[in-house]
Amino acid sequence: MSVTTVFGSGGIVPSGIAVTGVSRAFGSVFALLDATLTVPSGSVTALIGPNGSGKTTLLLMLATLLTPDAGTIRINGHDPVTEPERVRALMGWMPDTLGSWPSLSARAALQTTGRMYRMTREQAAVRADELILLTDLTDFADRPSRVLSRGQKQRLSLARALVHSPEVLLLDEPASGLDPAARASLRQLLRRLAGEGAAILVSSHVLAELDEMADAAVYLADGRTASPEQVAAAGASARAWRIRSLDDAALERALAAPGVVGALVQVLGVDQLGTLVQVENEASAAGLLHNLVLSGVPVCDFGPAVGNLEHTFLDLTRERPARHSSIVVNPEVKP
Amino acid sequence: MNDHRRVFLTGLWLIVTLELRQRVRGVSWYVLLGIFMLLVGIVTFLLWLATSAWLSGGGGVFSTIIYFVLLLGTLVSPALSGNAINGDRDAGTLATTQVTLISTGQLVVGKFLAAWITALAFLAAALPFLIFAVVLGEVSLGTISVSVLVLAAELGVIAAVGVGLSGILTRPLFSIVLTYLMVAALSLGTLIAFALLGTATQQEATSVNYQVVSSTYDEKTGKQSDIICSTAQTSTYPVPRFDYYWWILAANPYVVVADAAPGSFDENGSPTDLFGQLAVGVRGAQTPPELYSEYNGCEEAANGYFDQGISTRPTAQETYDGAVPSWFIGLTIHLLLGAGALTWAWRRTRTPATHLPTGSRIA
Repeated sequence: MSVTTVFGSGGIVPSGIAVTGVSRAFGSVFALLDATLTVPSGSVTALIGPNGSGKTTLLLMLATLLTPDAGTIRINGHDPVTEPERVRALMGWMPDTLGSWPSLSARAALQTTGRMYRMTREQAAVRADELILLTDLTDFADRPSRVLSRGQKQRLSLARALVHSPEVLLLDEPASGLDPAARASLRQLLRRLAGEGAAILVSSHVLAELDEMADAAVYLADGRTASPEQVAAAGASARAWRIRSLDDAALERALAAPGVVGALVQVLGVDQLGTLVQVENEASAAGLLHNLVLSGVPVCDFGPAVGNLEHTFLDLTRERPARHSSIVVNPEVKP
Repeated sequence: MNDHRRVFLTGLWLIVTLELRQRVRGVSWYVLLGIFMLLVGIVTFLLWLATSAWLSGGGGVFSTIIYFVLLLGTLVSPALSGNAINGDRDAGTLATTQVTLISTGQLVVGKFLAAWITALAFLAAALPFLIFAVVLGEVSLGTISVSVLVLAAELGVIAAVGVGLSGILTRPLFSIVLTYLMVAALSLGTLIAFALLGTATQQEATSVNYQVVSSTYDEKTGKQSDIICSTAQTSTYPVPRFDYYWWILAANPYVVVADAAPGSFDENGSPTDLFGQLAVGVRGAQTPPELYSEYNGCEEAANGYFDQGISTRPTAQETYDGAVPSWFIGLTIHLLLGAGALTWAWRRTRTPATHLPTGSRIA
């Protein structure tokens, strides 16, 4: 990960999100300890971590709602602590709690939010109509928001974060409660916004989802961001691959035959989706596939059993207790 | 600078209208106002009968309606304003407003104004009856304007305290209850404190009596001679010192309204409305009790009887005029209280937040 810079007339202005060494404690409990990350403009970065690892705390600080105890944060070069108004004008935040003014319709809520960003009445009305189309809320736009379903509220919340066309977008669990179609359109929307130059930070538990849209990932455990080396090591560690064949017996025979399975591969077992093998690295996976095809096994599916992000996440979380045994684990204290 | 002010006021008004749309929820709100109007109507009718208002004028009716609005306002306003900020935090709509270009000042003041306007709706609903009382006559323009303005200010103070406490405390239930307790402390607590402190601070009063033991009465002149006087007969008794504590009552909102209204008295010097009666009572408490009194029956017997006792007693109007008005002290205390609560709430709600109260969620 590198700091992206934009060369403008005023010199070098770092764009996107830059967080350096940020810590935050609530009483004696550390929610964040030395978190460092960058989200360049024009990219989507996934924020991944177990419950209580400080994801929401970090997003609250980026959203100008909470001050860090130590470290620096820059949103397009502005400090959320000293220049909150500058940051708010260019940052959109979708919180993990779905709050909406219960007696206002989705349309009125979006218009009101637009007015809060100092749009005129007409500008706010136009923008609200655009966002209703964009987030597919047309059928519910004029009902009071207390009757909306969770997924509809989620879409309204996303639309609200986009009202002022922010250059930096912070999304806390945006996909939860969405149906598959809405997830797909969320993914497309975020890719498009990134393509238009927005810096997007997405926290989520649906790792497969993030795999498809994130350019980079930041792993947060016990308030610390994992270093690039740790991420690289975890990503490269041994992992399970799934093999499916048109002829199960042929696959079983081939895996049992000497010479097919190399020294770095170990058969784990068979489940209803196929056969799981432990593979040390991608080179040995390629070797295994080569040998299976040579043995005449009709392989129709060959791939990692879990996504990249999930594999890295699980690997980093697994080794956590040993690494951070001295740190008090934040016991689900929400800020 | 002018542009700044316009931006501030636009945002402020946006919050006020949003608040009113959120809190003043359609039908149930109008039902509440309707019930209130019905009650005021019944009270007006009964007062009209009770005070023979068609003869004596509308002063009694007017002042009682003003008090009724104050009572209802103090009963309803805390429930409507006491969760303005922490209720939004619970509903998850506070932080989404705070990340916009709405400042904390606009947020707090906007919520206060909305709560105040809501309370003033009760005053507006009582307007027909107030006009009826004025039509009955004998209500001075001074009384009308001052009492309505002071009532509006007092409703504003309650709204400010409610919104302020909702920003200071985390739990909506606590802030609503505390707002009620605050209103009760001012309305009832001051009375209780005044009565208890006054009666607990008792002082010995002495009265000395001289009485005629024997005398010769001359029927022709009607005078007494050869008066033999008794020795001084001294008796002591305890008296409460309410005059030390009258200022406590100044903080009572009902007293503020009563004391602020220009007193209106009839030809005997008696108050013609509820404000006057209350103000005379409160101002009368300023007069220290007589700790030493002497009664010389012998002197009286020698010089003839005077109806001293009656002539020295002041009328209600004289008591009223001779004492210090206290309403502006009370009103100042209330305004400071409201402003202080709002300022504290503003400090607590400011973002980025450095400190979070335990157990609170910022979103």
